[in-house]
Amino acid sequence: MFSVIIYGRNDSHGYNLHKRAAISFNALAEVMSDADDEILFVDYNTPDDHPTFPEAIHDTLTDKAKKVMRILRVRPEQHVRLGLKTHLVALEAQSRNIALRRSNPRNRWILYTNTDMLLVPRDPRQSLSDILREVPDGFYQIPRFELPEMLWEAAFDRKDPAGNLARLRDWSVRYHLNQVVHNFMPMRYDALGDFQAALREDMFAIHGFDETMILGWHCDSNLAARLGLYRGRVDTLIDKAFGYHCDHTRVAAANNKGRKTKMNDHDEYIWNVSSPYLPAQAENWGLPDLDVEEIRLDRETHYERYTAGLDKVIKPATVPFTSTSVEWHLFDDLTYDLEHTLPFVCDQVLTYPRSTSIMVVGARSDFLSAFATAWQGMGFTGPVLVPDECEGMPAGQAGVVRGNFTDLLRRTDLFLFEFGLATQRAGDPVRTGRGLAPLDKKHLKVVERLFRQAASTESDTRAARRRTPRRFIGVNVIYNKYWPVFTDLVAANINPFCSQVLAGSPLPKESKTAKVFKFRRHA
Amino acid sequence: MSKPNILQLLLRRRPAGQATDDLKSSDPERRAQALFRLGRTKMRAGEIVGAIELFEQAIALLPDYAEAVAARAESLDMLGQQLEAATEYEKARRLWAGQHTGAPDRSYVYRQHGRFTFEVDSYELALQRIKTGAFPHLAVGNVLLAQGRAEEALQCYERALKLKRDNPDLIALKGEALSALGRYDEAVAAFDTALVANPKAPEVLNARAIAQSAQGKLAAANLDWQRQFDLLAPEQGAARAYVAMRLADYGKALPELERALAKSPRDLYWQLYRGTALRRLGKVLPPIDLPSHDDWPVPLLALQAGKLGAEEVMRRANTRERRAEAAFQLDRWKEVVEHAPPALLEYCAARNELARPRT
Repeated sequence: MFSVIIYGRNDSHGYNLHKRAAISFNALAEVMSDADDEILFVDYNTPDDHPTFPEAIHDTLTDKAKKVMRILRVRPEQHVRLGLKTHLVALEAQSRNIALRRSNPRNRWILYTNTDMLLVPRDPRQSLSDILREVPDGFYQIPRFELPEMLWEAAFDRKDPAGNLARLRDWSVRYHLNQVVHNFMPMRYDALGDFQAALREDMFAIHGFDETMILGWHCDSNLAARLGLYRGRVDTLIDKAFGYHCDHTRVAAANNKGRKTKMNDHDEYIWNVSSPYLPAQAENWGLPDLDVEEIRLDRETHYERYTAGLDKVIKPATVPFTSTSVEWHLFDDLTYDLEHTLPFVCDQVLTYPRSTSIMVVGARSDFLSAFATAWQGMGFTGPVLVPDECEGMPAGQAGVVRGNFTDLLRRTDLFLFEFGLATQRAGDPVRTGRGLAPLDKKHLKVVERLFRQAASTESDTRAARRRTPRRFIGVNVIYNKYWPVFTDLVAANINPFCSQVLAGSPLPKESKTAKVFKFRRHA
Repeated sequence: MSKPNILQLLLRRRPAGQATDDLKSSDPERRAQALFRLGRTKMRAGEIVGAIELFEQAIALLPDYAEAVAARAESLDMLGQQLEAATEYEKARRLWAGQHTGAPDRSYVYRQHGRFTFEVDSYELALQRIKTGAFPHLAVGNVLLAQGRAEEALQCYERALKLKRDNPDLIALKGEALSALGRYDEAVAAFDTALVANPKAPEVLNARAIAQSAQGKLAAANLDWQRQFDLLAPEQGAARAYVAMRLADYGKALPELERALAKSPRDLYWQLYRGTALRRLGKVLPPIDLPSHDDWPVPLLALQAGKLGAEEVMRRANTRERRAEAAFQLDRWKEVVEHAPPALLEYCAARNELARPRT
């Protein structure tokens, strides 16, 4: 019956974002009763190595919310062309249009709202699906009622949406919450963007939201103006449902800087709208040709993929614990426990698109073999690219593509460099003071050379269409001689030794002057 | 001073004299709308009981006045009379939904029907504050145009164009108003200008085609309709069906009509036009289940079913448009072209029928 369209990203949009969003997702799912209903969450521009926002809070969502939610992930690479024109990191019009394009065509209605809203049918026996099934074609809004921050923060149980809706019905009376704030037409109400129900076919006819609105604010008013023209009137569903907004103004949101807030031009996008249609974007609104990743919370979750990958290569431990050491005298020992390290390596890649191709350069053949198997087990469809320069790597493994390093540089989306000992075998003791064999030295020399070349030329070797830097993952680069090698060229955080893994984007190239100053400082 | 008077003063509403005149008018339409506006003012001032009385007076004058029914519903709701309010809200929605929508291939303006008093009232209020925005002028112009008040609509568009000079959308709407006034040369010039800015505007192509057809330039009109048809997406079946019917291209129209009918099986006009297309293509009409009522266009369906004679159908056609629709079903093309408004589908189709070489 209807597709709810909301958007956001996994960032710190107020300290209590996670709570109000979970409350809202669960409450939205609670008022759905049609098999075709769906919540489309566009996760816009979350960093590639982070999970999407709903994934990050999945444990606070009800089974129903997980079942009806489809997450459409828009990557930073897809935002970057607009990033130069706006101060915002998440774009409303683009997000909502991407979802609209991909919404369930069987649904008659599209409902635009936000991740801090609770929609409460006035008749508790009715669902929102029932309501929208019965009402005639039109464009509907409802007034938004504010919910004091303390009330929802302190009293709502995220996983009890029915209880929350019941509490709201009670509070609305006890605390006089229901105050309608009228506004000029075509807006009709204040804060109208928290409930705008439009026919899906109308939204396609008017070419979705206006994608030139990239400075934030007024997208809802612009939609009301255009749909108001298209349909002649802006109707209300005030008799059917109330909408409550979880107030969150203790910490201002990223797009709220008080009187200094940058926003889309009010006059241009509301008072000078002259047509419902947007011919300039008629053919390309919502990025119709883009293959947007879809993520579900009720199937093929990250956890399921992660364990599926690791279970293919790691057997359960047979001892209560193993040990290693960070003692100074072991600095030069490059042995590490593969079965312990691999889970931390896989953790670094799981949030990337399944079609990702990854270049693996390493010294240990058992590492490559295990990683390639786990990679496929995690559902990645892109190849594991291994340069011909890496000797001793197993041949003929499924999913592994060999090739010239320079050629592979342009094909890869991710880099993985492993600095281990080619001579280390399963069962060998770890960090006991082992030295480098000639074979180890030979292999590590190649790995280091390729790493330096890849990291220092990363921006020059990206595919022509790509604008964002590619991430580098280093294995066995903590507290040994490869720690400075790796971090001189890659902006990695400090990680615990136990994980063995560092990751980050390549550091910008240093200017000659900076190099001189750096040399003088160290001299 | 009472609350409504203070509000009126603060908001600098329309001169009191005009509102008072409307309240005394013998025209139920004008009087009911004045009562509605006064009721809205009272409602916003918190005088809910007084507002309800005014809405009831308006509804007594115009029982199908959906805006007044909705406003009464909201007022009752505010008084806590939720059950009665719920019935009234539904009634308002039924009234709005029952209004016949215009041709799907024309400007969106013509697809809207109703009084829109609530909207016009709000836009006029906005105009007291918004001095640089064309939108309220345009929105009011659209309402007036949809209600057939083209001269006043034209003035609104002119005012909007003073604020947004050379805006192609506004120029196209001005063209619609000129076309409705029969000023086809000026209308075509306006559409030409609008189409230079956006050559792929299906509704403007349709508008120009209608004006050109009225000028007798059928070849140029057909070219525009053909371009419009090509621009319309497959899912815009209703619009495509109408355009194909205007071209009197029944082979092209039939599959679109089938799709439109599948989507809205109870729409009598889709049934009628599908029957028309089938008949013109020499195909057998499926049996027609005539509705139990006799509202228009049921007599036309009865004619197609062979259950009503030509004379009786013409007798029941009580407006200019209906007479044209009936004449079209009776293949009296010349009569259609001579008497129908040029924007009517039947007018355009009849022109094409007349232009067809006869064997």
